[in-house]
Amino acid sequence: MYRTDAWDEVDGIGAFRPFLSTCYNNPCEPLRTAMPVIAEVIQASKEFISGDTVIVALKPSSMELSMGKVTLIIGPSGSGKTTLLSLIGCVIYPTSGEVIIDGIRTSGLSARKMAGIRLNKIGFIFQQFNLLAPLTAEQNVMLPLTLQGIPDAEAKGRVRKVLEQVNMSHRAKSLPKMMSGGEQQRIAIARALVTDAPVMLCDEPTASLDTQSAHIVMEELKNQAACGKAVAIVTHDMRLKPYADEIVYVENGQISKTEINEPI
Amino acid sequence: MLRYAWQFMKYDKAKSVGIIIGIVISIFLIGQQTGIFIFLTNAMKALVTNSRADLWVVDSKTINANALGKLDIRKLREIESVEGVAHVYPVVVAGGSARFDDGTTAGVQLIGSDAPSFRIGLDPKKIIGGNLERMLEDGAVSADYFDRASLGQAGLGTNFEINGKNAFIAVQTSGVRGFGGIFMFTTIEKARYFGNIPNTDISAVLVDVLPGADPSAVRDRINRTIFGVRAWTSKDFAGSTVGFLLTNSGIGFSIGSLIVFALIAGFFIIGLTMYSAALDRIRDYGTLKGIGATNGYIIRLILLQAFLFSLAGFAVGYLFIDLFRQGVGKAGTVFTYSPLMIAGFFFVTLFISLGGAAFAIRRIVSLEPASVFRG
Repeated sequence: MYRTDAWDEVDGIGAFRPFLSTCYNNPCEPLRTAMPVIAEVIQASKEFISGDTVIVALKPSSMELSMGKVTLIIGPSGSGKTTLLSLIGCVIYPTSGEVIIDGIRTSGLSARKMAGIRLNKIGFIFQQFNLLAPLTAEQNVMLPLTLQGIPDAEAKGRVRKVLEQVNMSHRAKSLPKMMSGGEQQRIAIARALVTDAPVMLCDEPTASLDTQSAHIVMEELKNQAACGKAVAIVTHDMRLKPYADEIVYVENGQISKTEINEPI
Repeated sequence: MLRYAWQFMKYDKAKSVGIIIGIVISIFLIGQQTGIFIFLTNAMKALVTNSRADLWVVDSKTINANALGKLDIRKLREIESVEGVAHVYPVVVAGGSARFDDGTTAGVQLIGSDAPSFRIGLDPKKIIGGNLERMLEDGAVSADYFDRASLGQAGLGTNFEINGKNAFIAVQTSGVRGFGGIFMFTTIEKARYFGNIPNTDISAVLVDVLPGADPSAVRDRINRTIFGVRAWTSKDFAGSTVGFLLTNSGIGFSIGSLIVFALIAGFFIIGLTMYSAALDRIRDYGTLKGIGATNGYIIRLILLQAFLFSLAGFAVGYLFIDLFRQGVGKAGTVFTYSPLMIAGFFFVTLFISLGGAAFAIRRIVSLEPASVFRG
């Protein structure tokens, strides 16, 4: 059954998930006992209209993200994997079907409520890191907490903790342009972690990184899944397969197969 | 949010400086034109505002204090007899041509009133040289310090001729200047003498009403009972004079259109620079939306930047305006801005900054959160 009374969590300050907070606050005791489904895509499709042409970006597809798992979404360019990620990330609405995040159906929600889900339920990691150029690393990480309305003193404490977690405390006052790609991605991971959101969505998180940095980032993501988060990674990079618990293949605008992987 | 707004502004220094310069230029032009406008309108009504009377009574066709008609001296007694009138003071205004030793000639406006009260022009607070007793001497007139360039650098005691008759400057005033003509105040007899005005004619009558009497009621009574004259409160007569000259000279339209163009120019300079700055930061705004910022938050962030720009722009712009005011004041273009007007400049600055931010807001609001996945 899906909850209909979950709005306090979407609009409220901070996410309500006591079963995760221990992992966030005390990294990192793996939680492998239960793997509840946190995000579901149920026969969701997405079409874009350009003039008289209807472009089908994603045919009706279904998938699940479970807490504690790393799910790799793999497919060639234009296959629809980013559309799938965008649907789970609540940045677009499905043309048909359902997307459910932590028990909340997203169909018909206002843009404001979708923003609330993104802020409180999802941590994003992007290929180009997407750190705000004018802000320091510390301010970038603090940004989601500011948006949630967390008081500065509390937010600073949480930022300090999460920067330590990704070993970036020494870069707290640096601007993104002063950091390497790997460092920027770790700051982006810290930003995704700081709200303790149950879902982490990663769009080609290692594409702009060298092998060594990519390994560090994947280890961190794997660690987060071990702490109970649902981690979804869109990638072309087959080298990431060993880190996945589950692999979803997307081809020609639909999920072609899903396989369970034996992770490293 | 203040911290983030400040960081955004600081990061893009060139654009931020461009926006502030746009505001400064706009607000300086507006302040400058407004200052000139204040000076001109003050000059237009200077004859009235430099008199001390409750009412002005002039020829019934006159609506402009700078072009007074002719009144019969007998009207003076008629006006004095109206209920509520305490005192009447005749005024004679005559044109003249002044010629100085160095050959300089200038058109002057002689304004004569009864000594020793001198109800028009010779306000002790504005006298910077000489004394009123000397105004009783033959040929004594006043001249304004800031008119000295037009009067061959004539100062206190300078002898010259008005309409071929000997005159000298007995009193020097500061900031009592007319619109078009050079004011020279004197006694009523000398104004008649220099201007060849017969004893039967006067130009206007200044009226003091009895203590406790309503000037408007006395004005209405004069207008009802005396034929061929029109009584005005001093404020109304000054207003009528300014209104007439603004409408008939095109000054109002000219200065008004300059102010409007300064507003428009400022609005677009600021708007387009903010828009361009927003485009430079479009990825950051997209990221903000992607990670869960609402449009409301982003609008507030942009408006806060616009507000900070307007504070900085106003501070610098007002500094320039005041320097301009002091600079032209030394050349005789004396005017002051009222606190209300300064507040008005600030609100205009806010209006053009916040209005200019609308271009950027429109662009950012239309940005889809999905753009965050498009690299």
